Amino acid sequence: MEDQQGSAFGFDGTWREYAPIAFTNLLLTIVTLGFYRFWATTRTRRYLWSRTRFIDDRLEWTGTGKELFLGFLMVLVLLGLPFLFLQFGVQALVIRGFAGVAMGTGFAAFVLIFYLGGVARFRAVRYRLSRTYWHGIRGGSDDGGWKYGWSYMWRNVVGMIPLYLMVPWAMISLWNERWNKMSFGPHGFRCNARVKPVFKRFLLFYLAPFLLAIIGVAYVATIGGFIGSVFLHTNYPPVIAAIALVVIIVGIYALLGLIALAYYAAFLREGIGALRLENLDFQFEATTDDWLKLFFGDILLVVGTLGIGWIFLQYRHWKFFITHLEAYGEIDLNALTQSTTRESQHGEGLLDAMDVGAF
Amino acid sequence: MEAEVWHYDGRNANRWGARLAGDATSFRLIGGSWESGPYAWADLAALDLPGADAVFGLKEAPGWRIGLPQDAIPDGLAALLPRKVRYGGFIDRIGLWKASAVLASIAALAVFVGVSAPGWIAPVVPQSFEDNLGDAMVGDFGGRFCATPQGSAALKALTTRIDPDANARSIEVANIPMVNAVALPGRRIVIFDGLLQQAKSPDEVAGVLGHELGHVEHRDTMAALLRQLGLSVILGGMNGTAGSNINALLSLSYGREAEHEADLTAIAKMRAANISPLPTADFFRRMEPALPGKGAKRGRNKGERSDLEDEAQALNWLASHPSSASRYALFADAHDTRRTYAPALQPSEWRALRTMCASDKKVKPVGAFGL
Ligand SMILES: [Zn+2]
Repeated sequence: MEDQQGSAFGFDGTWREYAPIAFTNLLLTIVTLGFYRFWATTRTRRYLWSRTRFIDDRLEWTGTGKELFLGFLMVLVLLGLPFLFLQFGVQALVIRGFAGVAMGTGFAAFVLIFYLGGVARFRAVRYRLSRTYWHGIRGGSDDGGWKYGWSYMWRNVVGMIPLYLMVPWAMISLWNERWNKMSFGPHGFRCNARVKPVFKRFLLFYLAPFLLAIIGVAYVATIGGFIGSVFLHTNYPPVIAAIALVVIIVGIYALLGLIALAYYAAFLREGIGALRLENLDFQFEATTDDWLKLFFGDILLVVGTLGIGWIFLQYRHWKFFITHLEAYGEIDLNALTQSTTRESQHGEGLLDAMDVGAF
Repeated sequence: MEAEVWHYDGRNANRWGARLAGDATSFRLIGGSWESGPYAWADLAALDLPGADAVFGLKEAPGWRIGLPQDAIPDGLAALLPRKVRYGGFIDRIGLWKASAVLASIAALAVFVGVSAPGWIAPVVPQSFEDNLGDAMVGDFGGRFCATPQGSAALKALTTRIDPDANARSIEVANIPMVNAVALPGRRIVIFDGLLQQAKSPDEVAGVLGHELGHVEHRDTMAALLRQLGLSVILGGMNGTAGSNINALLSLSYGREAEHEADLTAIAKMRAANISPLPTADFFRRMEPALPGKGAKRGRNKGERSDLEDEAQALNWLASHPSSASRYALFADAHDTRRTYAPALQPSEWRALRTMCASDKKVKPVGAFGL
């Protein structure tokens, strides 16, 4: 099937149409002290997916609020109870002088979170694919992500050892590993993203230590403070000093944000560009400029509406994602049969709890 | 009845055109060269999708869909088709606004119960349970309690004076250079050595002790513990890292009202023990540079360097016990000019108490506190 308009993906939602969903979600989330947010997420996704066209028909989101809620409960029991014990147990241990044991249990908890964080990233993509239908067909994975969790740990650790130089390798190889285990219908995704195209952008991060040093010096120069045992005084009036400090800190954060944005743009371009499903090749064309516009648009929207605009961010991000997503090739509808992967029954519980995105 | 629909069978991605033909309980789909069904109307579910088409799924058949233009639904068919689920659950049944009002009342009740529950529950928790819990959590404070014959005797004298009924199970001095004193679970009070060094007279220590005794008698520690427990359940229990928890326990927050009640207890106890509340008022003033009599004379000379350190030290105490002008005034006003107060300790006893940690050779050294 060839597409007539030149773009395989399209988004035709409007914020007017989405507003009633966003505002009623906000209302119900407030009056339920946040419990409605699982159903709110589901309603939002149902709308966004239904306004997303791929070739000749729309996507459909079939996830439910109940399964997200069950996932949340599961996390509460699986992680919450041990952590509750840990929280009070560690306090007691430290007070009683078993600092070593306390550090040991603390470290074990850290490793557990690290591992589950990897598993959660895998399962989030799996969950989203398994609840996304197109032409009555869904995606998924036969893998539970437990092995990926180990991979996630050791690759990230190895990536950090040589002064973080191998972090891009860790990220790209994990991306490939994850997507190579995903499928849609009967077809497996294939992904062979390379490190080289993102590495130069990553090197920009090495400016960060210099920026931090600048913060330190600027802080001392404007406020006064101890360097070693020397106390520095300043003659600037406190207001000027405070303003200068704020400008410097905001500036440096902005610069760090820009570097992160530039890297992320390159990363997604390479990651999605290397993705293939049977005879379909994907592409993601957002440039750093596009990301900047999205980012500053977000800030303007939220600040300009005194925070209310926050409820439209999910809409904006999805629209951004779909508008820049592209696919080439063809699909054989007869061969695109139903996925035989198992459907996970408990949403994105782990990921929800750890507050990380799926992509 | 009949209608033209589009159809996905959920087995492959082909989009079929079909004729829906049915009676009162079920229907069949008839395509160009195929036929499927019968399907029960009751097994259909309406999807909440924007757009011109009404779309329906079938129970237990993932991906199975039929759709037809909203305005092409014959009247007879419309009655048999299920309604859309929009907000979910009972909200669709009773309507958004009614449901919001009901949910908001439930939420308000839940918040009220949640906020005040620790205060009701704490007094009901058996004291022996709290004592065991406190002993399990605190133990011997990692060997950091200071003891010397003279110092311990002085501490005993001060304890007997301010707490004659022995409401606290133990009052100890810990070899930690923070300006702090805490009431821990199990009716145990710990004064940090830093506070003794910072205090200018035993009366100030008596005031702080009286305040912590107030927390013990009102069971504020148990209430705060319950509140923290509730919070960690709500927040999923994974916001605290291991390192920050010791601080969380040391500065369990009791709330403004409980702090005020504890101050009133302290004043009552000092009156009963005939100890002047003025030094304690002065202590609060020193801990809070913004209060009158302190801020104005502060300079930037070399000699004043220790003041800066004092302020950093005071932050420990302020974090858990926000000082304020009203608090200072409360103690200052409690001073009765016609009365002759007796010092909380004799000078020799006060010296012994202040030097107790420094002269105790067995106590765990300062640096070993695992924060
Ligand atoms: Zn207090």
